[in-house]
Amino acid sequence: MEEHKRVITSQGDSMTQKGLYLYCITEAFEKLDLSNMGVDDNRVYTIGYKDLVAVVHDCPAAAYDSKDRELVKKWVMAHQGVVEHVWERSGTVVPFSFDTIIRGEESITAEQNLIKWLETDYGRLKEALDKVRGRAEYGVQIFWDPKIMADKIVEDVPEIKKLHDEMKSKPAGAAYLYEEKLKSLVRKEMEKRADNYFKQFYREIRSEVDDMKVDRAKKTDNNLQMIMNLSCLVIKEEAKGLGEVLDGLDSREGVCVRFTGPWPPYSFVGA
Amino acid sequence: MEPTREPHATLVDLLDRLLDKGLVIHADIIISVAGIPLIGVNLRAALAGMETMLEYGLLKDWDQRSRSWETEHRKSLAVPLEEGEEVVLKVFGSYYYSEGIYTAWRSGWLYLTKNRMFLYHRDFGESLFETPLDKIRALDVRVERSFTGKDREILYLLLQGGSIARLAVLDTGELKERIVDTMNGRGAQLEDGRIIDDYEERAITFLEKDETVKCRGKMWHLVRDKSVLGDTWKPGYLYLTNKRLCWWYEFERRVLFESPLERINASVAEIRDLSRVLKQKQVLDVIYSKNGSKEVASFSAKETQEWQDALNKAIAREGSINAEEKTETCPRCGREELEGTLLKDGCAKCGWVSPRLKKRIPNVLKA
Repeated sequence: MEEHKRVITSQGDSMTQKGLYLYCITEAFEKLDLSNMGVDDNRVYTIGYKDLVAVVHDCPAAAYDSKDRELVKKWVMAHQGVVEHVWERSGTVVPFSFDTIIRGEESITAEQNLIKWLETDYGRLKEALDKVRGRAEYGVQIFWDPKIMADKIVEDVPEIKKLHDEMKSKPAGAAYLYEEKLKSLVRKEMEKRADNYFKQFYREIRSEVDDMKVDRAKKTDNNLQMIMNLSCLVIKEEAKGLGEVLDGLDSREGVCVRFTGPWPPYSFVGA
Repeated sequence: MEPTREPHATLVDLLDRLLDKGLVIHADIIISVAGIPLIGVNLRAALAGMETMLEYGLLKDWDQRSRSWETEHRKSLAVPLEEGEEVVLKVFGSYYYSEGIYTAWRSGWLYLTKNRMFLYHRDFGESLFETPLDKIRALDVRVERSFTGKDREILYLLLQGGSIARLAVLDTGELKERIVDTMNGRGAQLEDGRIIDDYEERAITFLEKDETVKCRGKMWHLVRDKSVLGDTWKPGYLYLTNKRLCWWYEFERRVLFESPLERINASVAEIRDLSRVLKQKQVLDVIYSKNGSKEVASFSAKETQEWQDALNKAIAREGSINAEEKTETCPRCGREELEGTLLKDGCAKCGWVSPRLKKRIPNVLKA
């Protein structure tokens, strides 16, 4: 699919029409042949400044944009493919998010612009590289089953248990009111527990990782509820310890852990 | 616990990182609109449907299974072109696959050669769909709306034997043209004026004998759930047959709501807020009797007005045939009377009044 909609944001001479798509920054390493593995089958190459290397491809100064899901998916996977490849070879990358494109300006090419930026942000980039050197990112998502939790709460909390038992013997109308009351009590208790679990799990996981970021919990399609969504930075050889802690959490009743990775350290190179 | 990065199960995780994270250049040298990098809204929208399709519940054995499935299928990666077979067109596309209980748009590279067409999945070395050109009887392009509300063109193929295949590519018109050209080149002809039936993607298994579908359409339905989770809107299909109204829950592949036509009292289409997020949506409320009490089933789609009309017509017809309303005998004198009249107005012969009405009178007087 060679043709796709591109948003043209700048018009003018050839300088401003050419752009450089950025994949990642890494440290100088053996010459790589990344051939045509880029987004949209573009040839990927490197541009260096001192000991920094930017992995790029040439493109028009326009963002990759399409409503075609399969195409977008293909692009995104290609971006990831390049970052992954460089990461494997060099051991350390500072990845860019998808669709980061440097443009040229009047009388400055995109390449000159890139080098200028590498020069200005050299210190910051070195810091970022140091932070993620030899490390990988892992995704940790913790879910619980609200039904199991609700049942547990009814069993555990005497006040709620009493209400629950009384409800059974009430006529339909009164039982309805009981149910409403019960629901709100259970909900409050669940929030409290989610909060406690969060703090407790946070501490346990934190001790096993180098750094971590708490992401927004997401909605799920099934009947599980996500109570924690974390990105963890871990020294590559040390993911085992994290896995063991997660095993402990996963074995709790009604709790389920998703452990993904290793990912390039996308979450630990931002601001 | 070992981390996983099995592509089927972790695509969402990858996208979260790739689209929302990574190094950001705080400079005006990157392509952006009003300072916002151009990734984004559109890409997210394009991928949105996919995200909801991928479930988070990472069941360990499922993960294991899909992994072994992948190794098994990743055998040959070469495109299975025969020697000397000439490719006319190669585009990325998807094919609606529905066999057994599994249905999905499956995607890969669509190859149109001089004598056949096939959709090839490179990663798994698998042809998802294949047909000789000589077997194509008719072609048609239709616009279909997916649940995400996005319209797209679908190429319909009527094949020899009457089966229908559906393909989605970016440029449907081009594909159609190239197929016709190639077929003409072979002296193969499409049937003139042949009309392709609507694609029936669900084998309707729940119909009774002599039951025929009058109307059907995509509809969201408010599914009642007494648990903590509460009621939720779910996507599915509403069917109006000559006997009943029922709603098919595609995800679980079963009928979740049904009511015989004679139990339906009325239907009302209105616009209201469904939640804090879904505002001003068209809703069809169907009032029906179940176990002696009145219930309301709510549906939502764009064509609620049409549904209301169709339903009201259907129940009016039903009403004229089944006019005999339930009768009841007066508890005092035994006279037979329509149940409704007896409860509302009392017995015309002996003057018996329902105790429910009696109670109400003093209350009203006091006030």
